[in-house]
Amino acid sequence: MIRPAPAFTDAAIVLEGVNKGFGPQKAVEDFDLAVPRGALCGFIGPNGAGKTTTIRMIMSILFPDSGRVSVLGRASALDAKDRIGYLPEERGVYRKMRVGEFLAYIAKLKGVGGAGLSKRVRNGLERVGLEGVERKRCEELSKGMLQKVQFVAAILHEPDLLILDEPFSGLDPVSMRQLEALVLEEHKRGATVLFSTHVMHQAEELCEHVVMIHRGRKVLDDAIPAIRRRYDPRTIRFEPLDANADVTALQALPFVERIERAEPGYSIRVTDGTPPADAIRRIVDVLAPARIELARPRLEDIFIDIVAGSEHRPEEPRDTEAAKATA
Amino acid sequence: MYKVIQVAWREFIVTVTSKAFLLGLLLLPIIGIVMAWAGPRLFTDSDFEARGALALVDRDGRVADALRPKLDPESARMRQELETARALEQMPREARALVGPETIRRIAPRIELMLDERPRDADVDAEKARLYSGPPTERPLALVVVHDDAVEPADGTSRLGSYDLFVPPRLDNRIENEIRRVLREAIVDARLAARGYESATLQALFNVPRVDAVTVRAGEERGNAGALTMLLPMAFGALLFIGVMTGGQALLTSTVEEKSSRVIEVLLSAVSPMQLMAGKLLGQMAVSFIGLGLYIAMGLVFLAGAALLGLLDFSLILYLVIFFVITYLLLGSLMMAIGSAVNEMREAQTMMTPIVLLLVLPWMLWMPISRAPDSAFSVALSFLPPVNSFAMLFRMASTSPPPTWQVWLTIAIGFASALGALWFTAKVFRIGLLMHGKPPTFMTLIRWARQA
Repeated sequence: MIRPAPAFTDAAIVLEGVNKGFGPQKAVEDFDLAVPRGALCGFIGPNGAGKTTTIRMIMSILFPDSGRVSVLGRASALDAKDRIGYLPEERGVYRKMRVGEFLAYIAKLKGVGGAGLSKRVRNGLERVGLEGVERKRCEELSKGMLQKVQFVAAILHEPDLLILDEPFSGLDPVSMRQLEALVLEEHKRGATVLFSTHVMHQAEELCEHVVMIHRGRKVLDDAIPAIRRRYDPRTIRFEPLDANADVTALQALPFVERIERAEPGYSIRVTDGTPPADAIRRIVDVLAPARIELARPRLEDIFIDIVAGSEHRPEEPRDTEAAKATA
Repeated sequence: MYKVIQVAWREFIVTVTSKAFLLGLLLLPIIGIVMAWAGPRLFTDSDFEARGALALVDRDGRVADALRPKLDPESARMRQELETARALEQMPREARALVGPETIRRIAPRIELMLDERPRDADVDAEKARLYSGPPTERPLALVVVHDDAVEPADGTSRLGSYDLFVPPRLDNRIENEIRRVLREAIVDARLAARGYESATLQALFNVPRVDAVTVRAGEERGNAGALTMLLPMAFGALLFIGVMTGGQALLTSTVEEKSSRVIEVLLSAVSPMQLMAGKLLGQMAVSFIGLGLYIAMGLVFLAGAALLGLLDFSLILYLVIFFVITYLLLGSLMMAIGSAVNEMREAQTMMTPIVLLLVLPWMLWMPISRAPDSAFSVALSFLPPVNSFAMLFRMASTSPPPTWQVWLTIAIGFASALGALWFTAKVFRIGLLMHGKPPTFMTLIRWARQA
């Protein structure tokens, strides 16, 4: 089911056979990944799946026990840190530091300096709607505002690669939209974006490509349209032309498994192996449709299907440290 | 290196501009100045005055005559002067210059005793009752009963007697001491007189004033360092201790803060753990140098003010800096390793105990090393990290400095051990920074170091 990672010759991120454990606990197993330059890639999975550990390995904050990591063509992110923007899941600031000073400090650590730095900081804050907070101490800002400040810290140096770990968690819908727009702007600017989330619909809305991780293993790695094509071609949305038509007539078709009411029409589940085109043709022969289409599977459903499918595997206990480090 | 400097600069600026640092930096000299000025006033009762009767039952009959002039106000004043001169004489030359006779006079208790001679055959029990009965203003301060053999031995023996002293409850011990002193002098005077000797003559014969040694070398003669030879190693040890503690503690605190506020991961996305560690070490080292520089400057000003600058070997300051760097890298980096491993300061306290003990241990060894700087014990300690820096500094500041090869061997061992500590810290730092949850033990840290 899972195809191997595409061998992009010019990939922004490449992971090959990466393994990482914390004591006896395996956090990431045989992980392959290739994120092409310029991609907007979602990294999804439930809590504790290994997303943060993988991201930390990409960032060279943690190091794999085995396997190879390459970032922006370098053997380690350490060699390309200044070209990477990173928003960690565990956000942190110097509470007593002023916002402007904090951003300037992080920018300097990213190799940005000089006379234009103050202006760049001001512009960055304006982009997230935080004009005039430069002189405020970080501890004076709300959690949401701090998250925006940290986002600014991640993009201030105009990175080639932007890695965001759960960037929208804890944000109100307006701020979420604002940050989503900024992510898209960064992508448009040319940055490769990899962001992790356990909120599937965000990935679905924003990403071109999705990588799914479960229990440290990659369970899905594909472009969104391909995933939709591949997963769940067995549900057909049907709305009869005559609202009073007797849809039970469709039950007689041999490939129909069940019919459920799904306003404004019906959801027809067909048996495994039935070609969707054949099924649609034969349904139309029985009842004239006002609308008929193959259902678009939601990423969340696919994820639940995959997770449910792997539930037969006994879950290994995770120790506190490893769990924290991989959360 | 640019990033290391950025981290170091931030550490430096944030620390030196904090109120805690400024307070800590100035607190020690302020305490020193306050204590030097106010100490004698605070810790001695300069206003102590006592006046009262000393009841005397002189079974011998000759001690009262010797005691009477000793309690005369004029002779009491002269005795006080003598005591002051003697006290000054006993002091180190440097302390003498600082304290002066006025301070001694001011802090000396003023006790005026009036002799209340009781009959030779007075009933002692009745005399004792006077100490606690009757109007308080009429009660004597104490009762002395001089034995009948206090001046001359009883027939058939060679042993001389003494006296009994009876006092009411809660008599100030300064009054008691004064009574003992005058009684001792009076009995000795009576004994001398009984044998035909004149007390004043004998005292003059016994009195040899204390002199200060003069250090002589080619083309130079100067006063001996005296007590400074003992205090100098301690002063250098204190500077080393303060420097390491200031920097180490700040490293521990800032690392714990960065970890607990979760800013560490943001930093690690921009710098490597080694760059972060190096920057923090350098930044706090610069902070410690400010403290060291200030205290050294103050010490030099003090020595110059007391015309004692010539007593100091200036190369010691250079060695102090070298040993500070070694000890700071060794113990400061270990403190930072602890900071990276724990979740909060409370957890750090337990793990800090061994480090603090390592810093306190040299103070317990200061006296034996300063007294015998060339003993096998002192030499062995000079090569044993992490106390070797302290031990060698104590020896170098002593009257018998070690051979140069030993100094450089200590420095080499020190740097090697500092490198080992840095290696260990780098390993622990890399893993510990992102670890949360159960507080680690030292065994965990060792496991991390082997794992990293």
